[in-house]
Amino acid sequence: MSFELISLLVTLFFLAAIGTPIGYSILLASVAYLGVAGLDVALAGEKILQGFYRSTILLAVPLFIVAANIMNAGSITDRLLNFCVAAVGRFKGGLGHVNVVASLIFSGMSGSAVADAAGIGKIIIEMMTKGDRYPRGYAAAITAATATIGPIIPPSIPMVLYALVSKASIGSLFLAGILPGLIMGAVLMAMNGYLACKRNFALEEPVPLRELPKKTANAFPALLMPVILLYGIYGGVTTPTEAAAVAAFYALMLALIFYRAISLGKLYQVFVDSARSSASVGIVIGGAFILNFIVIQEQIPQAISAMLGGAEIHPITFLILVNILILVLGCVLDATTIILVIVPLFIPTCEALGIDLVHFGVLVVVNSMIGLITPPYGILLFVINAVTDIPLREIISEIWGFLAVLIAALVAMMLLPDMILWLPRLLGYQG
Amino acid sequence: MEKAFKWFSRLAEMIAGGMLAAIFLIFLLQIVLRYLFTPAGWTLELIGILWVWVIFFACAFVVREQDQVKFDIIYLSVSKRTRKIFAMISAAALVIGMLYTLLPTWDYIDWMKIRKTATVRNPFTGAKIPLRDVFSIYAVFIVAVAARYAWMFVDILRHGPPKTELELAVEAIHEAEEERAEEGSDK
Repeated sequence: MSFELISLLVTLFFLAAIGTPIGYSILLASVAYLGVAGLDVALAGEKILQGFYRSTILLAVPLFIVAANIMNAGSITDRLLNFCVAAVGRFKGGLGHVNVVASLIFSGMSGSAVADAAGIGKIIIEMMTKGDRYPRGYAAAITAATATIGPIIPPSIPMVLYALVSKASIGSLFLAGILPGLIMGAVLMAMNGYLACKRNFALEEPVPLRELPKKTANAFPALLMPVILLYGIYGGVTTPTEAAAVAAFYALMLALIFYRAISLGKLYQVFVDSARSSASVGIVIGGAFILNFIVIQEQIPQAISAMLGGAEIHPITFLILVNILILVLGCVLDATTIILVIVPLFIPTCEALGIDLVHFGVLVVVNSMIGLITPPYGILLFVINAVTDIPLREIISEIWGFLAVLIAALVAMMLLPDMILWLPRLLGYQG
Repeated sequence: MEKAFKWFSRLAEMIAGGMLAAIFLIFLLQIVLRYLFTPAGWTLELIGILWVWVIFFACAFVVREQDQVKFDIIYLSVSKRTRKIFAMISAAALVIGMLYTLLPTWDYIDWMKIRKTATVRNPFTGAKIPLRDVFSIYAVFIVAVAARYAWMFVDILRHGPPKTELELAVEAIHEAEEERAEEGSDK
C-alpha cells in the first residue's frame, strides 16, 4: 500500500468519523492523496466536473426524486393507503399486511428515509397503535422492515447508482428487482401472519367488499407508474433517463388533474426540495468519481482479484463473503456510500468469476437496504424512533423476526440467480 | 444582515428549483421533438450544463448542514462538548482544504476556455459557450463552501454545535402537532 493511499484513507476515515459530510470528506481525502502523490490537486475538480457533465444516466436521480416528492405532496399516498386497508385489512394481522402492501405499491422512492418514514410510516404506525391493537414496538418494527422493499421495486435510485458504477443495464436492473421485491413482501407478510396468530392480535373492522372497486379505481392510476417506466425503457420509446422524466410528468398529471391535490406553491416547494436532495446525493456521487479514479490509479480491484484468484475462490463463496461484508458495513454506513464507494471495488472480480452483474446488483441493493434496519445503526430505526417517540429498545426487540426472514430471502436470491434473472431474460437480457 | 441572508437563500432556492424544473421540461421537450419534429442536439448538452449547475449551486447555497449525507454514529454518541470540538475540526479542515485547491482548480477551469460547447449557444450573442463558463460554478462552490464553514466555525465557537437531523425532525413534528392542537382549540 503506497503512502499516498494511506494518507487518503487516514484523512477519509478521520473526517468522516467526526461527522464531516461524506462527499466533502472524500473530496478532501482525495486532495490529500493528490498532494502527497505530487499530482495536480485540480484533478479532483476535473474528475467531478467531467463525470457529471458526461453521465446523463445520473439525471434519472433528480427526476425520480421529483416524481416521489410530487406523489407525497399530492396526497396520493393517502389514497393508496385506503386501497390497501380495503384490500388486505380484513385478514389476521391486517394492518401489518396493509403496511407491506403499501410499501410494495408505493415503492417509497424519495431517496430520503427520513421523508418516507415521517410520511406514510407515521400514519400507518398511528393506525396500528390506536386502541392498543398492536404493541407499538411491533408497529414500528414492521414499518421499518417493509420500508426496505421500496428501492428494490422500480423506480429505484440505488439501482441507478449501481448502474453508474457497474455499467450494468439500468432497464435489466429495474426488471430484475420486481420479483425479489415481491418475495420480500411475501416473506414479511408470512412472518406478520404467523406472529399475529401466535400473539393473537385484534382483528380489523373489515371494509365492505362493495367499496373495494371504488377504492381500487381511485388507486389504480398511481399503480401504473412502474409499468409506464418499464414500457418506456423496454419498448424503446424513451431512454432510461427520459423514462424518469416521463414518470415525473405522469405523477404531476395525476396530482394535478386526476386527484387535484397539488397547488402551485406546493409544486414550487417540490422542485426546491428535490434540488436540495439531488445536490446532497450529488456531492457523494461526485466524491465517488474521484475515488474511482484513485482506485484505478492504485490498481486496487486488480489487487483484490489477484488475492481472491490466488485462493481459487468459488463464485458462491465470493458472493457469500461480499454479502456478509456489506451486511456488516450496512450496520454502520449509509446505502448510498456503500453502493458508490465499496461496491466498485468488487465489480472486476465479479466479472472475472463470471458472476452476472445484474444479479450482483440486485443482491447489493437488497443487502444495503436490509442494512438500513440492522441494529445498532439502522437509519430507519432512528427515524421512526424520532418521529413517533417509540423507544428504540422496543423497536429493536421486535425487529429480529423480520430481519431473519429478509436475510433468508437474500440468501435464496444469492443461491438462485435464475430467479432474479428470469424476468430480464424473458424480455431479452443476454446474461 | 439576518434579513439579507434570508432573502438571499430564498433567491438561491428559487434559482436551484428553477434549474431543476428546466431540466425536467427540456427532457419532455426532447421526447416531443423526437417524435413529432426533428430531434434536437442541443437538449442533452443544455441538460448536462444545468445538471452541473444544479449540483454545485445547490451545494453552495441551498443544501443545509442537516441535509448532507453523513456517517454520524460516532458524532451522535459523544457528549455535546466533544461534538463541538469535532464540528470545529471538520469546519476548519474544510476551509483549509477548499482554499488549498482553489487556485490550481481555477487554473484548470480557466484553461477549459479553449473547449467550447458543441451545440448550445449563448442566446444573446449567438456564440458557443466556452466550458470555462460552464465549469466556473465549481469555483463559486469552492469559495462558498469555504466561506460557509468559516462562518460555521465561528458560530460553533460561540453557540455550540449545530442541531442534528433527528433533533430538527423531532422539533418540526412537535411544532406541527402544536399548530394542529392550536387549530383544534380555536374551533
